[in-house]
Amino acid sequence: MEQDRIQELIMKYNEGQADPSEIKMIERLIEDGTIELSQLTELKVMEEQVMKMESPIPGPELDDRFYQMLRAMKKNGSGFSWASFFSWPELAPKLAFASVTLLVGFFVGYLFVPSPQSNKEVAVLSQEISDLKEMMMFSLLEKESATDRLKAVSLTSEMSASDKVTNALLKTLNSDDNINVRLAALDALKPYANNSKVREELVRSISNQESPLVQVALADLMVELQEKSSVKELQKILKDDNTPKEVKKRIEESIKTMT
Amino acid sequence: METLSDNALMLKVKDGDLDRLGLLFERYKKPLFGFFYGMNKDAELCEDLVQNVFFRILKYRYLFRGEGDFKTWMFHIARNVNHDHYRKNKLGKTESVDEWNERLGHSDIYTTQVQQDEELKMLSLAMERLPEDKREILMLSKFQDKKYKEIGEIIGCSEGAVKVKVFRALQDLKAVYKQLEKHM
Repeated sequence: MEQDRIQELIMKYNEGQADPSEIKMIERLIEDGTIELSQLTELKVMEEQVMKMESPIPGPELDDRFYQMLRAMKKNGSGFSWASFFSWPELAPKLAFASVTLLVGFFVGYLFVPSPQSNKEVAVLSQEISDLKEMMMFSLLEKESATDRLKAVSLTSEMSASDKVTNALLKTLNSDDNINVRLAALDALKPYANNSKVREELVRSISNQESPLVQVALADLMVELQEKSSVKELQKILKDDNTPKEVKKRIEESIKTMT
Repeated sequence: METLSDNALMLKVKDGDLDRLGLLFERYKKPLFGFFYGMNKDAELCEDLVQNVFFRILKYRYLFRGEGDFKTWMFHIARNVNHDHYRKNKLGKTESVDEWNERLGHSDIYTTQVQQDEELKMLSLAMERLPEDKREILMLSKFQDKKYKEIGEIIGCSEGAVKVKVFRALQDLKAVYKQLEKHM
């Protein structure tokens, strides 16, 4: 705002002519320091009078009471006092130390004592992992690449026994195009051979096999298991004209050891 | 004898040399009494309140850091003591309009007073009629020697805001004063 306008405003105010909006403006100018209170003559006089106003002098009683209080405080101030013990500046560091120690204690306790809650969590987690592996195995078995299917078969060794797993392996043993995959499936089935259902399926699988390698491997497994019911199936291979001589010889030996 | 500054004295009090508070008491009992008297016009009560301020200074001496001005800190406490007193007693906080008119109605009593002691007495009456916050800002301005920045620290606002408050309080005071003059 221009200096002239400000002077005009001050003059108007000093003459008692300022309207409410102008007074508001003066307030704003006072607030930002453009107008000093001393420039407003009438108020200056008023303020000076306030400054000059004399107050009575306090009586001697005030002095007595003050020095009495001071003496009492000095007495209390020396030595230990419960009041000072519980006063905030004294108490705050103690409280802080106590709470930090408590927190550290809780933390250490938490580290060393596994909670039942966390055991439960671990169980849930491992279940989730095995589910995931199972899913991965099935999806790998569907793959065209023999390597992937081999991976799937090897995954079963890390999984807990279940009908789902053995059925998948038996299916692979009977129907996979690749000999290596079938051999791997047979290998993976060995740990489950104690299961009678699996044994039955293995015996039934003998006549399904066309590959001499798988046939020999199955014959070896039968010998290992001393599965006599397999003799009939093995003899079927012997009768087959397509069976190579070496294989026939090997199977004959196997039958001999079983009977 | 070397005169120690207020802050140096207060720091010694803080360190446990309580006797030094006596010097501060001697320096400030009058302005403090004057401040309270300006607020409530009751000498006995004012003595209680002054005593209370020094009691609080002793009690909270550990809070004094020596960074700010002692006087500002002391008036900050004085202001709280005054507010606490009114909060506890709930008196005189707001003067009703009826009371106001009643007093104006008996202005003949005051006429003699005014004649005796002219303007200052009337000013004192006008001050009494101001709302508490306005009376307070004028008293702080008086006893803090118009140091508006320090007053801002006491009441928690900017220097500019303090000036506006003083301006408004003086305007009201002037209005009441003029009204009183009419009745005289």
